[in-house]
Amino acid sequence: MVFLYDLMAGIPLLITLILSVISIFSTDNEKWKSVIIGLLLFLLLYFAFFFFVPHDAHTIETFSLFDLSFNKISLFIGMIFCASLFVGIYPLRHQVIISSSFLFYITGGIGLILANNLPTFFLFWSFQRAIPLVGFFQSAKRGDASIGATYIIQHVISFFCLVALLVMSYNQGYFYYPMTSIPKEFFSWPVLILSFIVIYQSHGIFPFHSWVHDLVGKHSWYEISSIFLSRSGVLLFVQLLLPTFSNDPDIFKIILLSLSIISSIYWSFRGLFEENLSKTTTYFYIAQASLLLTGLQADLTAAKGSYLHMMVISLCGTSMFSILSYIQHYFSIKRANQFYGLAQFYPRLSTLFCLFGFCMIGVPMGASHVVEDLVITGLLDYQPYLGLGHIVATCLNGILFFIVYSKFFLGQSPYKQHIKVMDMSMKEMAPYVSVLMLMLLMGVLPYLFLEKLTW
Amino acid sequence: MIENLFQLILITPFVWVLILAIIYFVNVKVPEYVLSETVKFYSLLMAIMSFSLFVMCWSMSPTVVLLDYKNWIEVGDYEFKVRFIVDLLGSTYALLSSVLIGIIFRFSRNYLHKEDGYFRFIFLLSMLLFGLLIVSFARSLDLIFVGWELVGTTSVLLISYFYFQPQPVRHALKAIISYRLCDMGILAAAAWAHHYLHSTDYTLMPSLLGHGHGGNALFFIGLFIIWASLAKSGQLPMSSWLPTAMEGPTPSSAIFYGALSVHLGPFLLLRMHDYFTHFPSLLWLIGIIGAVSAVYATLVGRTRSDAKTMLAYATISQVGIIWIEIALGFTNFALFHMVAHASLRTWQFLRSSSIIQDFFENPMVHQNEEIKRSLSLEKLFSKNMKKAIFVHALHGFHLDFINQKIINAFFYPAKFYILLEKKWMNWNNEMLKKLIGKG
Repeated sequence: MVFLYDLMAGIPLLITLILSVISIFSTDNEKWKSVIIGLLLFLLLYFAFFFFVPHDAHTIETFSLFDLSFNKISLFIGMIFCASLFVGIYPLRHQVIISSSFLFYITGGIGLILANNLPTFFLFWSFQRAIPLVGFFQSAKRGDASIGATYIIQHVISFFCLVALLVMSYNQGYFYYPMTSIPKEFFSWPVLILSFIVIYQSHGIFPFHSWVHDLVGKHSWYEISSIFLSRSGVLLFVQLLLPTFSNDPDIFKIILLSLSIISSIYWSFRGLFEENLSKTTTYFYIAQASLLLTGLQADLTAAKGSYLHMMVISLCGTSMFSILSYIQHYFSIKRANQFYGLAQFYPRLSTLFCLFGFCMIGVPMGASHVVEDLVITGLLDYQPYLGLGHIVATCLNGILFFIVYSKFFLGQSPYKQHIKVMDMSMKEMAPYVSVLMLMLLMGVLPYLFLEKLTW
Repeated sequence: MIENLFQLILITPFVWVLILAIIYFVNVKVPEYVLSETVKFYSLLMAIMSFSLFVMCWSMSPTVVLLDYKNWIEVGDYEFKVRFIVDLLGSTYALLSSVLIGIIFRFSRNYLHKEDGYFRFIFLLSMLLFGLLIVSFARSLDLIFVGWELVGTTSVLLISYFYFQPQPVRHALKAIISYRLCDMGILAAAAWAHHYLHSTDYTLMPSLLGHGHGGNALFFIGLFIIWASLAKSGQLPMSSWLPTAMEGPTPSSAIFYGALSVHLGPFLLLRMHDYFTHFPSLLWLIGIIGAVSAVYATLVGRTRSDAKTMLAYATISQVGIIWIEIALGFTNFALFHMVAHASLRTWQFLRSSSIIQDFFENPMVHQNEEIKRSLSLEKLFSKNMKKAIFVHALHGFHLDFINQKIINAFFYPAKFYILLEKKWMNWNNEMLKKLIGKG
């Protein structure tokens, strides 16, 4: 029976891995795009099936080196991971060029989502993080100015932190333990600090954030998304630290919370000063994602808010990137010191982009408003002044969004007015509209979703 | 009966907004005539329902109806209660909103005839009405925030109505920055009230003050409310966005900056007045802000040459006076002042595009001008003093410059850090290149 569950957990990973390997030898991009879209849809349905159909064996304690498992959180993140990528890529299937490395990113992401113990987590974490290195070394050979040194340095630091965690767990006999079952005795100060570095570095949270700059310029949005969407930091936090979090020192928790909030404020500021609009959008997305961990650390109320937040930023974020990517396929958008007035050419896409943004920045009737309410309340119960910090961060994110939106879509367009309107058709926009409906439903009837988040 | 009517008043605009949104996304081209006629029927219905509710509230005043619905959010100990209050204050504001928006709908039928964005305009105004009705009847700060944000968002989208011109977009950005900064206040107030008073119901908050464990935090709740009211009412130091927000179509300027949105600040202060009475220093603060804003706007407004900007400053000035009235405890008078001012300003804004014609054709205008000149306070000042005041007023008492300095104080450290980070990343790249080169 255990074998059967292992097999079930292994199926998504196995299929993705096989397809990744085949993709190296394939050059037929169009065909591969259909395969990738099909794969994402299959994975989405697979995770959704296990998430919605109750089954007893949520966690399988196999005590082996390579341990994969289905539990509520991993299924939830898996669902969001596949749904977001599907929604982002499907409408653009005729516009984007997908390289084989993307499938490897997905493999790494699925592995991280399903990893049940520290060695398995370490394996997939290293695997996913190693893929950009190939690109950076190729750039270095070509003599490019940016060769991702900061990315390499910060990931090497995290790599050694993870190795140290593994060594410590091995010494104490918890090496094969599922992460959720490691007893509180393991979490000494060094363990907490090492985990904290890995978690924060994975999410690009201040002060381990600089690697994001290297990645943003070099990789496409869906590759960056697949790194962030696997939420390795959240998974490590929820599975490793959260079960015994109440025993951790208060000062440790306060530092973690403060850094998440500072990070969100930092990314918002960074977006305000950035000239490249694609980068600004990514910074807006990361600023939102930085706040994910604040709720998880505060209390149950805020944690539920954070899970909803994860859904909101993943689905809305990738939809926004997808819309921008579609537009950039036809228009060159490089500098931010002018307005592009693209709403004239893409009225419906601009409306969708605006509504997705509203859903992310906490405008009422959008999902994020519920999230804000829960997270801020939870934070205030824990630390009132941190709650205020969260409010400031949300406010800055909102301002940044309006700036991004107005620069892209409003103002006088530098492009010729006679360009034919190239809005997507309703059929192509269907995934975006579905996500938007979901977000609005989440905002208007939040209890339908909150009831499901019971772990 | 009153509960059913109230529910109908709140549900109708929501359904209407939903229908408009579906029409937009399904891409059904509704002829302008059909849309205008439907809007006319809708606004008439809303006005009749609001008036009926107002009459009911008037007849039963000072009794109020408290309505509690199912919790909107419920997680652990936390509950977001959907609570409304149907009283004279709320129904007056709802009536004012419904009637004035109805007038604007009718006016814009000619004003925006054959405009591309007519549908968008109708949609945003409908959204505004829904937001205003929520604020009018909400009984908790959480729920007020919902309506408050809807009003702010629609306001910004209407400032940038002519989105293909850069200037309206810049002014919309200025407005949203002011709004977001001040909206933090209402969010913070709601969150702190949750934490320290365990309720955001403002009818209960004053009575809970004695049981609260917050000390200064309770004072800060009031302060946050005042902060939140500043931007919407265009009071100092958050007033500079309002005159520049006149870039939208005249009907939207009338409804937002002459009538409804700009009075939401005083409305919130009126709602929270019982709470403020426990903190006299906060009432003093409201009075001082109102007085300074009124004097500032009067002086600056006199130096402006275009009708809409002058009206915007006149609005700031009158709203400042309403703040003073609230601070002095004349709450009923403040409500009356709000209604009268909103109605007059709507009319003035709508007529602003015909002001030159009015000036030449309407003899009353000249009479008013003569009366104004004979009563002018300017006679009290010496020539040099008048000149000095004029020069500073012309520059808006350098408020923009001061604001810019304050913003820079936050931005400089951020810029410096970003510069350092870039240098550090470049250094990393150089070092790695050297290492690879050696390898």
